[in-house]
Amino acid sequence: MDKSLNSKRVTGWALFWTIAALLYFFVPIYGTLDFSLRMKRGEISLMAYQIVFSDPRFLESFRYSALMGVITIIVSVLIFVPTVYWIYLKLPHIRPVVEIITIMPFIVPVIVYVFGLIRTFGKPPFQLTMTPFKTDILMLAGYIVISMPYMYRAIDVGMRSIDVRSLTEAAQSLGSNWLQVLFNVIFPNLRIAILSGALICFATVMGELILGDFLVRPALGPYMASIGKTKAYEPAALSIISYVLTWISLGFIQFFSHGGDTQQQITGR
Amino acid sequence: MSFLQLTNINKKFGSTAAVDNFNLAVEQGEFISFLGPSGCGKTTTLRMIAGFEYPTSGSITLQGNDLTFTPPNKRNIGMVFQSYALFPNMTVAQNIGYGLKIARKSKEAIEARIEELLTLIHMENMGARYPYQLSGGQQQRVALARALAIQPQVLLLDEPLSALDAKIRVELRHEIRRIQQQLDITTIYVTHDQEEALSLSDRIVVMNQGGMEQVGTPDQIYNFPETEFVARFVGQINLLPVEVVNPRDGVIKIGDHLLRAGRFGKLNGKPVRLAIRPEELHPGYLEGSNNLSGKVGSITYLGSIIRIRVDVDGNPVSLDVFNERKFKPPSVGETYQVNFPVEASWLI
Repeated sequence: MDKSLNSKRVTGWALFWTIAALLYFFVPIYGTLDFSLRMKRGEISLMAYQIVFSDPRFLESFRYSALMGVITIIVSVLIFVPTVYWIYLKLPHIRPVVEIITIMPFIVPVIVYVFGLIRTFGKPPFQLTMTPFKTDILMLAGYIVISMPYMYRAIDVGMRSIDVRSLTEAAQSLGSNWLQVLFNVIFPNLRIAILSGALICFATVMGELILGDFLVRPALGPYMASIGKTKAYEPAALSIISYVLTWISLGFIQFFSHGGDTQQQITGR
Repeated sequence: MSFLQLTNINKKFGSTAAVDNFNLAVEQGEFISFLGPSGCGKTTTLRMIAGFEYPTSGSITLQGNDLTFTPPNKRNIGMVFQSYALFPNMTVAQNIGYGLKIARKSKEAIEARIEELLTLIHMENMGARYPYQLSGGQQQRVALARALAIQPQVLLLDEPLSALDAKIRVELRHEIRRIQQQLDITTIYVTHDQEEALSLSDRIVVMNQGGMEQVGTPDQIYNFPETEFVARFVGQINLLPVEVVNPRDGVIKIGDHLLRAGRFGKLNGKPVRLAIRPEELHPGYLEGSNNLSGKVGSITYLGSIIRIRVDVDGNPVSLDVFNERKFKPPSVGETYQVNFPVEASWLI
């Protein structure tokens, strides 16, 4: 009798908090959506959206940020997966040091980091700010550093779930060299971990403001900030569009990263 | 020259000697077991043969070629791991064919070899399954097939059955031996299970604290152990402190019992003990045999065996008798006589 009463109470509270969380998340979005549809006084209209879509700077900035997001994911994976793999296999004693390094982006504000980039790479001998392409390289490096805590941790968690040593040795006993082990065995078994890191990485890049603003690149964050200074309804429409496009992009990433029928996998540990 | 030769192999981790002066010559087609307790160096030695560790000193040669510092992917030595180590992202067929794919064999050759091995391990219709869809025993069969697919010169197995339940272990070890004999592949098998080692091997290497205690056939290891460790580790053993009466003839005394040891070597006044296996002791008095008597301390039922412990002048002596219906076990506290053949005992 007591147990069933308790379970009813638990269910009631769980329902309450779920609804509260959903409201907390969706009410502001609904408010923004509603506001974005009120550009024409007294009626619901899509005029704000039409203005945003007709602005070539919006598509340019979204394309730029999305492309930088994808490139950041690819480069981050190519850097962090082999690094974490090697640490697990050969250098487990330096893991604590590496973990401290990967949380530095949480401690050092982005503005400080950007000023450091400009000071270091804004003049010879390492000048990288004179052309858009070279500045994009700086942007990419910046995005990799900012998303490093998320990507590293996602891969680290993934590595813990597989028997890295045994799988490596099994592959080596079958004739694989290090590259073959990495690409045939390690990468495929980290797909879920890489995907989760990639999603956070992509969202971070899409929403990032300071790097793009100070390095004067057409990223989505600075564009949204500049629109917000001079317009009212268009920023709301832009927010909704950004949400939708970002979620669609994440969906594409998930779709193309999802493998056949592997489902839950065990390593026989 | 032997097929596989390990010469003066030493392995140190820091100041700890994990393997100490290991020497072994293995002939082609032999099934050798490394048997010993945890931490004795058997897996470290196996890993040095596989190439996952390099010896601190010594050499490993295979068919006359020095493999000591050859990388593992260049040795053509197959290995089956305790954790199976199947690739979770690949099907059974892909796992088995992986080594052949790395060796750039043709698609037809790979498919034919996969079919052949699936038949060998009796898993013909399971090529499309993933490891998570298999039982432990099935996973281990696939791991074995994968190691054999590349036609290795030597097959290494590192406690492959330890994660399985007892009944599957017995089935699979017969399977492993059948396949090994069918393919005539030189095999080294690491285990801490003496029953596995005794039932599978042509020869056994008993190891302890990094060193080799004894190398011999199962019969030699069990019936003629050369050290106390081997006698204790392999099978059950009674060790009774004795007083030497006649060192030339091996006549000894336990309390008031005058006995003769079957094997005794040179006795030079050092404390010795009489070793006798429990199954060599029989109930009752027998003329011409060694005879002991004492009080029954305990009776333990082990299924097909009953183990009776008799206290002989303060020394526990265990005898194993078959649990036959006609056998009437004694009562605890009862005075009980036991006998054993002279040749079944020896002095350590």
